[in-house]
Amino acid sequence: MKRRRRDAVLALVMLGPSAVILVAFVLYPLARAVWLGRQRCDARAQNCRTNGFRQYVDVVQSREFQHSLWVTVKFALLTVPVGVALGLGLAVLADRHLRGVGFFRTVFSSTVATSVAVASLMWLFLLQPSRGVLANIGWLNQLAPVIKRPGLLNDAGTALSGVALSSVWANLGFTFIVVTAGLQSIPRELHESAYVDGAGPWRRFTNVTVPMLSPTLVFVGVVLTSRAFQAYGEIDLLTKGGPVPQDSTSTLTYLIYGSTSIARSDAGLQSTVAVLLFVVLLVLSVVQLRGLERRVHYGN
Amino acid sequence: MWRSRLLPVLVVGSFLVVACSGGGDSIQNAGNTTVAPASKPTTATTAGVGDTDTDTAHADTLAPGETLAPGETLAPGETSAPAATDAPTTTVAPSTTVATPLDELPKCPTDALASASGTVDITFWHGMTADLEKQLQALTDEYNASQTKVHVTLQNQGGYEQVIDKYLQSGQDSRPDLAQAPEYAVQEFRDTNSFVPVAACVKADNYDTSPILPAAVNAYSSGGVQWSMPWNVSNPVLYYNKKIFAQAGLDPEKPPRTLEELQADSEQIVSSGAAKYGLVVDTDFDSGGGWYIEQWFAKAEEFIADNDNGRSAPATHMLFAGQTGVDLYTYLQNLVASGAGYNVGANASGQDAFLKLADVSEPGAMTIGTSAALGTVLAAIKGGIAPKIAVEDLGVGPMPGPNGSATVLVGGASLWIVADKGDEKTAAAWDYVKFLSNAQSQSTWAAATGYVPIRSDALSTEPLASKYASDSRYQVAYDSLFQTPDELTAIGALLGPQREIRVLTARALATVFGGGDVATALQEAATQADALLADYAARHGG
Repeated sequence: MKRRRRDAVLALVMLGPSAVILVAFVLYPLARAVWLGRQRCDARAQNCRTNGFRQYVDVVQSREFQHSLWVTVKFALLTVPVGVALGLGLAVLADRHLRGVGFFRTVFSSTVATSVAVASLMWLFLLQPSRGVLANIGWLNQLAPVIKRPGLLNDAGTALSGVALSSVWANLGFTFIVVTAGLQSIPRELHESAYVDGAGPWRRFTNVTVPMLSPTLVFVGVVLTSRAFQAYGEIDLLTKGGPVPQDSTSTLTYLIYGSTSIARSDAGLQSTVAVLLFVVLLVLSVVQLRGLERRVHYGN
Repeated sequence: MWRSRLLPVLVVGSFLVVACSGGGDSIQNAGNTTVAPASKPTTATTAGVGDTDTDTAHADTLAPGETLAPGETLAPGETSAPAATDAPTTTVAPSTTVATPLDELPKCPTDALASASGTVDITFWHGMTADLEKQLQALTDEYNASQTKVHVTLQNQGGYEQVIDKYLQSGQDSRPDLAQAPEYAVQEFRDTNSFVPVAACVKADNYDTSPILPAAVNAYSSGGVQWSMPWNVSNPVLYYNKKIFAQAGLDPEKPPRTLEELQADSEQIVSSGAAKYGLVVDTDFDSGGGWYIEQWFAKAEEFIADNDNGRSAPATHMLFAGQTGVDLYTYLQNLVASGAGYNVGANASGQDAFLKLADVSEPGAMTIGTSAALGTVLAAIKGGIAPKIAVEDLGVGPMPGPNGSATVLVGGASLWIVADKGDEKTAAAWDYVKFLSNAQSQSTWAAATGYVPIRSDALSTEPLASKYASDSRYQVAYDSLFQTPDELTAIGALLGPQREIRVLTARALATVFGGGDVATALQEAATQADALLADYAARHGG
C-alpha cells in the first residue's frame, strides 16, 4: 500500500513536466477553441455573443462549410494517390546500384528543401496566363487552351487541379525519401529468391516490393492526407480560394483563415470550423490507421 | 477492436445526419438562429466611456483565463477624459453621427518631446513592400540621421491586410506607436478607440494644414475629426499602350475619358486588329471589383451607401443595386462578352491586369490600375518584362467614368498615431508624421513611386517639380485629385465592414462576367452587405 503510494508520487513527478506542457500547449488551446467556437465575435475577438453549441450544428449545415469540405476531399483525392504513386515510382527507379544514381536521388528529393511558398510562387509564374512560361508554349496551348485562356488557375473547372499539381510536386521529395528508406530495408534475399523462383520484374514489384513496403506506404498516405486537409499556403498564393463565385479551391483551411473568406474577421466562426476540421482529421486518421492495419505486412 | 471501428462510424454518421438535416443556410447566420446576446450590448462611445461596461459584459461571455485580458484593447483616455461620462454620444450610435469635441479624445502633447531626456524609440507598422519599402526606408533613415530626439524602427507587416489584422488582434503592449492603414479601414480603426486623432496634434502644434489637399483630409475624417494623416495617396488611372492606339488609328495622346469612349476605343482596337483586346478588367476586391466600383459611383455623383455614404450617420443600406450599379455592371458585362474587353479574374496586387498588356500573343491595350504602381510598372518594362512595349509607349490617362469627370476618391493609406503609449512616444510619432508629410518628403516619395503628393507645395519642390515637368504621366493622378469637386459624393464611403463589402461587390462582378444576371447578382450582394452593416452596428452599440 505504502509502496504503491510512493510509486504514484514518483509517477506524478516524472509525468508532471510533460503533462504541464501538454495541458498548456495542446489541451488548453483545444478546449479554448471548442469554447470560442460557440461564439460570434468581431475582428478584435470582442463583443462576442453566443447561442451555445448550436453554432456547430449551424456551421455543419451551412452551404459554405459543406462546399469547403467537399473541395477539401476532392483536393485529397487529387493529391494523395498521385503523390504516393509518383513517389513510389521514382523511388523504385532510383533504387539501383548504377553509376550516377546519386544525382537522380538528389534531384528527386530536392523538393523537400523547397518551402510551400517558393514552390507555389514558382508554379504561379509558370502558369501565369499572359507571361508564364508554361502558359505560352504553342503546342501546349493547342492541347489545352484553358492554360492560356483564362488560365489553369483562373478557370473554375481546373483551378483545383492546378493547385494539386503544385502540391504534389512540393510533396514529392518527402514521399521519395521515405519510400526510398523503406525500399532499402527490404532484405535482398527476398528479391533474390523470388528471382530464382522465376518471378519477373513486375511480379517481384507487386509480390515482394509492395507488400514489404506497405507500412511505409500507409504512413506516407496518412501524412499526405493530413497535409492535404491542412494545405493552406499553396491555395492562398495560387488562387485565394477562387475563382469566385464558384470558390473552386476554397478548402476548409481557407474557409478558416483565407483573406477573402467569409469567416475571416470572426474569431468565433473560425474556431468552429477549425474544431470541425480537427474532428474530421481525427476520424480520418483513426480509419486509416486501424482499417489498414490488418492488411499491412510488417515482415517477420 | 470493434470499438475502434465503431467510433469513426458513429462520428461520420452523426456528421452526415446533421449535415443533411440542415437547409444549406449561409455560414454567416451560424449561431444566429435565435439571437441571444450573451453580453449586454456594449455602449459604444466616441471617447471610451463604457469601457467598464464592455469589460463586465466580456467576463460573462468569455472563459476564465481569457487571453484578451480586460483593458488590453480598451480605448484610450480612461484617465484623461473624465468629462466623457457626459458625452452626448453615449446613447447614440457610434462614430460618424455626432461631431466629437476634441477635448474628449486622447490628447496629443506635442511639447513632450522637447522635455524628453534621451532618444525616444518608436516603432512603425507599415505595409509597403519591394521598391516602396526601399523608398520608405530611405526617408526614415534620413529622418533618423537628421536629429537625435527620435529614432524610428520600421516593421514591415507584409501588406495593409496584415497591418489591420495584427493591429486589431494585438493587445495594448504589442501595438506599435504608429500604424499605416488603407482608406477602407478608417471606420474600423476609429471604432477601436485606440488612436490619438491627428486633429488633436494639428491643434496642439498649430500645424499649418492649408497646403494639404482637402480631399485627402476629408477621406480620413470621421465625425468631423481628422483621425489620421494621409500619407501615401493614390487613385486609379488608365494605363494604355500608345503604340496600339496609333496602330488602331486612335490618337495616342487622347485616351478615352467617358465610358462610351472607352467602349468605342476598345472596339476599334479589336476590329482594327491592333490588339486582341481593348480594356483589361479584373474582379479583385482591391481593384476592379471593389475599389473601382466605389470610384465609379463617385464619378457618377452618386452615393454607394445611405446616410451620405455613411458620413452623416452610420450606413445601414448599400445602394449599389440601384440603377447606377445595374448600368455599370451591365456595361462591364457587355464589354467583356463582346470581346472588346478581357477579364483576368482575381488580380492580386494588380499583377495580372498589367501582365495582360505585356502578353505577346493576345495583348490588351488598356487597363485601370493604381497610380502607385506607375514607378514599378515603368521599372518592369525597363527590365524587359514586355518585349513589345518600350518605356515611352506606356500612356497614362485619368480613369474613365460615366460622364468624363475628373472625380476620384482618395486611395492609398494614412498614418495613425496609437494612443496610451506615453506622452513622449505620442509626440515622437507626431514629429515623424510631420516629417513624412512635409513638402520635401512628399516630393521625394511621389517622384520615386507614382503616389500623389498630399500637398500642393510639394509640386514646386525638387525632385517632384522636374519629375512632373519631364514625365507628365506622373502628374495625371494628382491632377484628377486636385480637380475633384468638393461634393459629398466625392469623399467616398465610410463603412465598418468596408473591406468585406468590397469582397461582395467583387463576387457580384465575377458572377456577372460568368454570365449571371446583373440585377440578381447585385441584389444578392446588397442583401448580404446590409446584413454585414447591421451586424457591425449591433456589435458596436448601434
